[in-house]
Amino acid sequence: MSGGPIPEVTPVNQVYWDGTAVGELRIRSCKACSARFRFVSDWCPKCWSTDLGWDVASGRGTVRTKTVVHMAPYESVAARVPYVLALIELAEGPTMMSNIVECEPCSVTIGMPVRVTFEPRGGLKLPQFKPA
Amino acid sequence: MSALRSWGLRPSDVNGLLAVPSGQGVGAIDIYTHEKLGAELGLQPAFAETLNAGGASFAIMVGRAASAIRDGLADSVLCIGTGKFTKPTSGSAEVMARMISEPDFEIGYGPFIPALYALVASRFMAERGATSADLARVAVSARQWALRNPRALMHDRGAVTIEDVLGSRMIAEPFHYLDCSVPCDGGGAVLVTTAEKARRLTQQPAYVLGYGEAHSHGSLSSADDRLIDTLASRTGADAFKRSGLSQGDIDVAMLYDAFSVTPLILLENLGFCARGHAGRFVQSGAIDPDGSLPVNTNGGLMSFGHTCESSGMSLIVEGARQVMGEAGDNQVAKARTALVHCYGGMMYEHATLILGQSQ
Repeated sequence: MSGGPIPEVTPVNQVYWDGTAVGELRIRSCKACSARFRFVSDWCPKCWSTDLGWDVASGRGTVRTKTVVHMAPYESVAARVPYVLALIELAEGPTMMSNIVECEPCSVTIGMPVRVTFEPRGGLKLPQFKPA
Repeated sequence: MSALRSWGLRPSDVNGLLAVPSGQGVGAIDIYTHEKLGAELGLQPAFAETLNAGGASFAIMVGRAASAIRDGLADSVLCIGTGKFTKPTSGSAEVMARMISEPDFEIGYGPFIPALYALVASRFMAERGATSADLARVAVSARQWALRNPRALMHDRGAVTIEDVLGSRMIAEPFHYLDCSVPCDGGGAVLVTTAEKARRLTQQPAYVLGYGEAHSHGSLSSADDRLIDTLASRTGADAFKRSGLSQGDIDVAMLYDAFSVTPLILLENLGFCARGHAGRFVQSGAIDPDGSLPVNTNGGLMSFGHTCESSGMSLIVEGARQVMGEAGDNQVAKARTALVHCYGGMMYEHATLILGQSQ
């Protein structure tokens, strides 16, 4: 498993990638209503407050759903098949997309506890999840 | 065009135009499609726009057209969809993947449309007990309908069995090749007009009896509890309420079937089946020709064809044809009503349309 598509770093999402570079999975939190969310935006999607902070997620979560991809959809993931694409429900609440790595793809089940790991890619550290 | 000509209409008779943007398949969305189509058709509409809500666009176009007519903006609105499906092996697949995922966060994980739907399917199967054979049974039914419909892309390809589906190559679990719709080029159109004008044009119009529309999230990560309990339950309830009909009154259901799992989810979300019962419902033959609830009677996206940005138009056209008694070899006897459900994204936004033979 190596290589893959590289996310675009923008002035808006830079703080997220700065976090992963030092081993932190950062999520947004709203100081007004305590909502936690992943979107990098300047307001809370629950209450529209602009009084926001950053939390460092524990990196623990469970597999909400998953698929094993057998057909490479495009060249940049060709070397990765078969790979597990999943939605992870973080312990803090928000759901994020990830791959499940460092295990047999067929061993991944819904509800399985996982924890974050960081994969170096294209100068970034991409959050990935592996069995906890 | 042939329908418009057969109805004796001229360009000056059409004063509304709705279109979906062309070029989505190559990541070059043309938001001026209505201008180009209007010019080609020689129209000078009082009401026109290019609108896009993915696969939901088509039921939404009919809803918008009906509103515009009620508001007196126009009395004859042409709703057009044309689509071109580029081969997913070309560079467009990654362009599409960036478009349909959260570009800031998700592209690194290798998302693509079948895999995103597979995430929905896996959760549905885990929570509702549907099996791969149940999913496959949807593809079997779609092909049965296509064999009756000379216009269907898979008309001459013969029947498929559950074993054929389960034996076809794996794309993204649980989807095999035959769990996926068939990409192709194509398009279609419907004319939405006043009841009075419709009766002058045709003996049996399809009346818009009910409509419901709802939008929520823009990515699977933000679906919250709507991953499989989709907004179809809300749009269905709204459409039923407005029509004064209930599930038992529906004679034909056209349920957007980009993948085999989605009719199962919609059968439950729209209230045709209790939760967890869609699998055994389709296994009983209920959605087949001669079943109790004929579904996707033209073969659906799975066997009629998925025409990319005009995908859902074939569902609307077929629903209307059934009610108008013009469905040809695949006409359902006593198709007095049809429910058409279209959704966009990975079931992010929804629209339900109920058509009937009488107002």
